[in-house]
Amino acid sequence: MGVGGLGALGVGLAACAQPTPTAAPQAEPTKASAATQVPPTAKPAAGGTVVFMHQRNEWSEDQEKQFMAANPAIKVEFIQFDATRFMAMNAAGNPPDLFRLQGPEVPDYLARKILKNLQPFFDISTVLKADDLAPSNNYYKWDGKTIGKGDLYGMCKDWSPDFTLFANKKAFAEANVPVPADDKPLTYQEIAQLASKLTKKEGDRTLRWGFGYHGDWIDRTMMNMLAETGKSLFADDFSRLAISDNPEAVKVARYWFDLAKANVVANPLNPSPQWAGDDFTKGLLGVVQYGYWFSAMAESDVTKDNVVMLPAPTWAGVRRDPTMTATGMAMTAKAKNPEAAWVLFEWYNGGQPAIDRAKSGWGVPALKSQYKLMPAETPFQKQCQKVLQGELQYASDALQFNPFIKADVVITAWNKYLEQALRGKMTFEEMLKSVEKETNDAIKEGISRLG
Amino acid sequence: MTAVQLSGAGRRRGWRFRGRAWREAVSFYGFIAPWLIGFVLLSVVPLVFGLGISLTNYDGLNLDSVRFLGLQNYARALHDAEALFGISRTAVFTALYVPLALTFALFLAGLLNQDVRGRGAFRTLFYLPYVIPIGAAAWVWRLVADGNYGLLNALLHLLRPGTAVQWLANYATQVLVVFVVWTSVGGAMVILLAGLQGIPKELREAALIDGATPLRTFFAITVPLLTPVLFFQLVMNLIGALQTMVAPMLLIPQPMGFNVLPPQDNRLYMTFVYFEIFTKARFGYGTALLWILFLLVLALTLVVFATSRFWVHYEVE
Repeated sequence: MGVGGLGALGVGLAACAQPTPTAAPQAEPTKASAATQVPPTAKPAAGGTVVFMHQRNEWSEDQEKQFMAANPAIKVEFIQFDATRFMAMNAAGNPPDLFRLQGPEVPDYLARKILKNLQPFFDISTVLKADDLAPSNNYYKWDGKTIGKGDLYGMCKDWSPDFTLFANKKAFAEANVPVPADDKPLTYQEIAQLASKLTKKEGDRTLRWGFGYHGDWIDRTMMNMLAETGKSLFADDFSRLAISDNPEAVKVARYWFDLAKANVVANPLNPSPQWAGDDFTKGLLGVVQYGYWFSAMAESDVTKDNVVMLPAPTWAGVRRDPTMTATGMAMTAKAKNPEAAWVLFEWYNGGQPAIDRAKSGWGVPALKSQYKLMPAETPFQKQCQKVLQGELQYASDALQFNPFIKADVVITAWNKYLEQALRGKMTFEEMLKSVEKETNDAIKEGISRLG
Repeated sequence: MTAVQLSGAGRRRGWRFRGRAWREAVSFYGFIAPWLIGFVLLSVVPLVFGLGISLTNYDGLNLDSVRFLGLQNYARALHDAEALFGISRTAVFTALYVPLALTFALFLAGLLNQDVRGRGAFRTLFYLPYVIPIGAAAWVWRLVADGNYGLLNALLHLLRPGTAVQWLANYATQVLVVFVVWTSVGGAMVILLAGLQGIPKELREAALIDGATPLRTFFAITVPLLTPVLFFQLVMNLIGALQTMVAPMLLIPQPMGFNVLPPQDNRLYMTFVYFEIFTKARFGYGTALLWILFLLVLALTLVVFATSRFWVHYEVE
């Protein structure tokens, strides 16, 4: 694959969830697609062992037994997902047949020719039909040039519009601040004001942070904010991270820096030992930014009957609420037993486990036909469904991920230099330059390695 | 004739000798074979493989895009400000940890060598942190040292309400040193205790009869006779300190992940290597960094060995 091809692949992410994505210019189809293609068969003869690398909390031992009882010719060898082990298995030429991944990782894996083309299987499937696939599955489409178009290389297990908010009404009452309406999006500027008002302190001690978010995904949030203005964190061809020469990107970065500096969110100098979801359910957060999936756990003993879901905020008045994870499953190009692996893939994504997931409320189902299974019994679930239905119409635009680097590179650099900037060891501008330099070095290497 | 007979007898003795030597050799190699095979497969082969990888741009996932870089990775490390920063922080950590750990272990061993009631219980108690899994120990320390909800600050809060010292973020190296001393001192203590018990009582008694004070006896009799054990502990602690990676990662005050680094002061060399390999997929560069560390450890160990003839006293010399 040439650099242009990979750049185009990344550019294609912009069109990830659109029905008719624009083909990227100057891109040549690669051989990977053909090389990893499985000849279609009318009915795959499935049997043998399937090595399945996933998370046990998303694939129970009971489900495993049910599957093997229904498919006695297939034995599932389960391996708990571990990124290091996954790399080691690939390096040894012995990867699992099926594995768990997230949408942002797909371009990187495609570039490295690790994924098998599953389109021939989808073509003959009576369970996973093309017109039934939720738009988030476009993260797994690739035509050799463009993400979001072409053959399927996997699918998500479930997804959410990920930029919605959950508010703790108790915190609002204590701060004497009215709870925002759930039919009108807040602006990020309003969130900053709320964060300040809702933060509760006793001396140096923080009893409650006003606002919380998933630290691992802050770059994805920046990407979504910038997309409102038609801008990106990266240059058009993904050859560099472009913040400091992009005034809008600087404004977005400054927003998150200022929140940390104001100490109204957990930050490197006043960290929380747990993730924001835990903080919220323990009543230590006023507002948290998570997708619909969080509704399944937002109400704890501490927060019960005091949580309200709010629409995704806007940065520049344009509503966007795509998924930023699209967690799913793919088959490796070197899978030893693709036919049997597909039987498991189909069952996991369209059979009883998918139905169970849909009913659990831990995300929007990956199949549109299962949307109706989402829970809407309690008042909170009904309220969440109301907000979710409003958000789904803004959920089809996807984020653009850089195919030359691993998904963690930008955020690791951000976390590293944020600490130094907050300590006053460098200015905000120097921090941005450092993040850019570190990321761009990695991009350069990626281009040289894959180009 | 006699000469021939003698020669024949000599040959028979020679055969017998060679037969015994052969059997001894077979026994020797048979007994060490399990270790030797394990050493070759699990140490030598990975080392050579790692050396090969360090000369490439290997990214950990597939071999299709591997390119030979020669010594570029090694040259790059010498100019990498982050790597050099990691080395400087590791030096600070080692300089604090090694003397503290040795002194504290010797102090505890000395205490537990006294003939006091409940000595066994104390020995168990002091040894306990050494056998607690480091993940569990770190988790407890995080609970104790957390800035807003930690036990330590809760106690300080009684004296000064609203106290929220960010121990893990602002005193990261100090907490790390104390933590690693706490978790490792038990092992050193047991070895030093065995060393203390190997020192003949008569020597100390003779010194006391000659009028030496207990302190003088300790430095003139006990410490010199203990130097072989202290030397062993010093070498092991140095090697361990230079390779420290897990403890600073476990003491990260935020939720752990591939993208959350330890506070700047705790970005030791090995944590830097970890993030280079697993976050940036720089397996080639990462293994070059590991080889550089190996050479540094080797050089330092050789220096310590070279100094040992000036201060280590063996009973049989």
